[in-house]
Amino acid sequence: MPDLIAQNVQKQLGTAQVLCGVSFELQPGEVLALLGPSGSGKTTLLRSVAGLERPDKGKIEIRGKVVFDAASGFEIPAEQRGLGLVFQSYALWPHRSVFENVAYGLRLRHIADAEVRQKVGDVLKRLGLDHLAERYAHQLSGGQQQRVALARAIVYNPPVLLLDEPLSNLDAKLREDARAWLRELIKQIGNSALYVTHDQTEALAIADRVLLLDKGQIQQEGPPEKIYGEPTSRFTAEFMGSNNIFEGKIAEISGGRARLAGDRWSLWGVLKTEKTRDATATALVRVESVRLSDGAGENRLKMLLKSALYLGERWEYVLELGDLRLRTWGETSRPVGEYWIAIPADALWIF
Amino acid sequence: MNRTFRSFAIITVALVVFGPLGLIIYQSFLSEAFFSPTARPSLGAYQYVLTDSGFHSAFGTSLLVSLGMTVIAVPLGSLLAFLLVRTDLPWKRFLEPWLLVPIFLSPVVVAFGYVVAVGPVGFFSLWAKSLIGSVPWRLYSLYGLILIAGLTHVPHSFLYVSSALRSLDPSVEEAARVAGAGPWRIAVTVSLPLVLPSILFSSALIFLLGFELFGLPLVLGDPAGLLVLTTYLYKLTNLLGVPSYHLMAVVALSIVALTFPLVYAQRRMLRTAGRFAVIGGKGQAFRPLPLGAFRWPAVGIVVLWLAVTVLLPLVGVALRSVVSQWGEGVNISEVLTLDHFRELQVHPNLIRGIINTLLLGGIGGALSVAFYAVIGLAAHRWQSRWVSFLDYLVMLPRALPGLIVGLAFLWVFLFFKPIAPLRTTLFSLWIAYTVVWLAYGLRLISASLLQVKPELEEAARVIGAGQGKIYGDVTLPLIRFGLVGSWLLMFMMFVREYSTGVYLLGPGTEVIGSLIVSLWGTGALDLISALSVIEVASVGLILFIALRLGVRLDA
Repeated sequence: MPDLIAQNVQKQLGTAQVLCGVSFELQPGEVLALLGPSGSGKTTLLRSVAGLERPDKGKIEIRGKVVFDAASGFEIPAEQRGLGLVFQSYALWPHRSVFENVAYGLRLRHIADAEVRQKVGDVLKRLGLDHLAERYAHQLSGGQQQRVALARAIVYNPPVLLLDEPLSNLDAKLREDARAWLRELIKQIGNSALYVTHDQTEALAIADRVLLLDKGQIQQEGPPEKIYGEPTSRFTAEFMGSNNIFEGKIAEISGGRARLAGDRWSLWGVLKTEKTRDATATALVRVESVRLSDGAGENRLKMLLKSALYLGERWEYVLELGDLRLRTWGETSRPVGEYWIAIPADALWIF
Repeated sequence: MNRTFRSFAIITVALVVFGPLGLIIYQSFLSEAFFSPTARPSLGAYQYVLTDSGFHSAFGTSLLVSLGMTVIAVPLGSLLAFLLVRTDLPWKRFLEPWLLVPIFLSPVVVAFGYVVAVGPVGFFSLWAKSLIGSVPWRLYSLYGLILIAGLTHVPHSFLYVSSALRSLDPSVEEAARVAGAGPWRIAVTVSLPLVLPSILFSSALIFLLGFELFGLPLVLGDPAGLLVLTTYLYKLTNLLGVPSYHLMAVVALSIVALTFPLVYAQRRMLRTAGRFAVIGGKGQAFRPLPLGAFRWPAVGIVVLWLAVTVLLPLVGVALRSVVSQWGEGVNISEVLTLDHFRELQVHPNLIRGIINTLLLGGIGGALSVAFYAVIGLAAHRWQSRWVSFLDYLVMLPRALPGLIVGLAFLWVFLFFKPIAPLRTTLFSLWIAYTVVWLAYGLRLISASLLQVKPELEEAARVIGAGQGKIYGDVTLPLIRFGLVGSWLLMFMMFVREYSTGVYLLGPGTEVIGSLIVSLWGTGALDLISALSVIEVASVGLILFIALRLGVRLDA
């Protein structure tokens, strides 16, 4: 039985349709990332699951128990859903110590004092916060606050852990570390988690499965590698990764592939949408899929390297041929001049 | 639970607001006082009042005073706001709290202070006479009244204009500076036009307050034979020998008919002003505009206003309370005495008045804050049309001067027999005060509630706290400082209040303010000055504590 089922969730705010019928399931122990640009409705979806927003249509079940059903007007209030939620701003109560912030959920569940102390102690220890128990939020660093917010959300074993951009208030450096231990921790406690983020790297790194949202609709869903490597729509392809995007005319079609041609160039790629010959189409290829090669061959072009930019851990080359302009990465500085590049036909997607 | 709590809040507020108002309306359509057995429905009261030439001239005077004080207070208040918020005025931090002090002074005390300081035989008048041979001003005149009303209402416009200026993006002024504008030009062409909605809002407010003036015209207008609507109402009490409640009801309603549209217009203005206010700027640090050579003249303006508006009347009151007599040819050092304070003890009603005032301020103020908090919480994060209904309900008492609310509650206690015994207890004053200050108190509470970020409550909700728990464990603890601040502010407002208690004054319900009003009729200047000093000292002490605690006076 899934931990969470959302069926056709719809929500309108003012005149904007924020969610246009979103459905998904969350399996026990699974980490599902809700990824999307701002305004895609991902936070509204999370808040609907939490019970902080009331959808206009749809149904939500937690561990087989209906918590919201628009058809019958049934709704279990947020405080009775028993979920754990980590807020983007952490929302730590400034008038309570770390210990009391974490203990609050247990006290509401009428758990004996000794047990509260033990459970809070355990979770603080697990998150490396045990020495900070008596501190107040304003005496903690951003990273520590973030961990207290997490401790507060998991201490009473919620069926589903909800996380609303939990790392977005951390510094870039801290965020990379936090990402790793956060996934480790969720896996360790074996909780299923719904993780909202606008950062694709974070979503890919932390989730077992990604739900890509745009304009209130699911654009694509699947494991991170599929979302990144096998986009089914132009939106998904463009949203993920660093891309070369260029236009051309379909010159040839054969067996799901097409040859796209422009001024003095032509390349084979995978046809992702229905196209006819001579139609204009857009091609998309990830920057890292374009490679410098040693000479002529299939799907290779001789291009002029206009400049090489130093990015720290790598170099970025800007290449031109007729109306085609491509970026690619390499390990060394290269002088301006002519080079062969290769693009595997599978890595070039035509929409 | 939430539902019953919210309905309770709305019904209670509706009851305390509509009950008294309804009774006034009912009374206005009777031929006599409502308790008279021969009272019957009649339009006679309207006919009498609306054709009375005394009423007409009171109406005209009220209008003139309102207009005049607005014309004085708004430009001066806006100028002071610009100087204190946007420029490098010297002594800013010291001067700022003083600017709001007039709000916490009882107008009747201030008016009395002016009488003993610059009245025909005031301390400063006689001093001026000894210097130049005659008194160069006339306090008891329409101009005197307008000038003093205007000067004492400067804080009201300062309050709104300064808060709008604070949220103004400093870069718009910096751009004008770079373009070559000096500080005055920037004020007149950039800053003040940008906060025009707040200036207009404060103008409407001050114009409204003009119709509600009571203490100033009672003390300053009376000797010159000037009546405004409220003092006309007050005089009606004794006019016919019998309680002419039906006439008073008509006058009260005519005041409400003037003030209600003003309150309504103000509300609409506030809505657009709010939209206007957030022009930009994230409260970033900015360099105040340098006044240059104008620095000291600017301080001069502020200090002169403070001297005339605060210092002059207070020095007058304080001096008068320690001299046994005063007049031409009296040497101050020969008449110094503390007898007036000792004399208070001879009058048990005055001692009771002092105790009652402090009880009403301290305990009553706390109870009122609790009441406002209940109403505020009921409306907190409630998405419903009932909230705007509550908003309108709350704003209604702002159209009712304290004098009229006090009168209406007197009638309520006379009319509803079961609660009649409460009339002679402090409860009658407390409920009238609470209604008069309803809008102010709720604004304090909702200002505190606005500071609570919604996530802090949502976090508790998700963890499993019900509405009651959220209020008790998160919301109220988070605004506890705001509640203490509100209590101190209500404490001061209740201590300085005078007009609301005028009609409720009786054995057991004496307070300093209404005692001063009634003593004014008997000319007991010695006792008035002693009571005034005690009142000002109490308010001053609370104000000092509030400022030390960092309570914001400009909520």
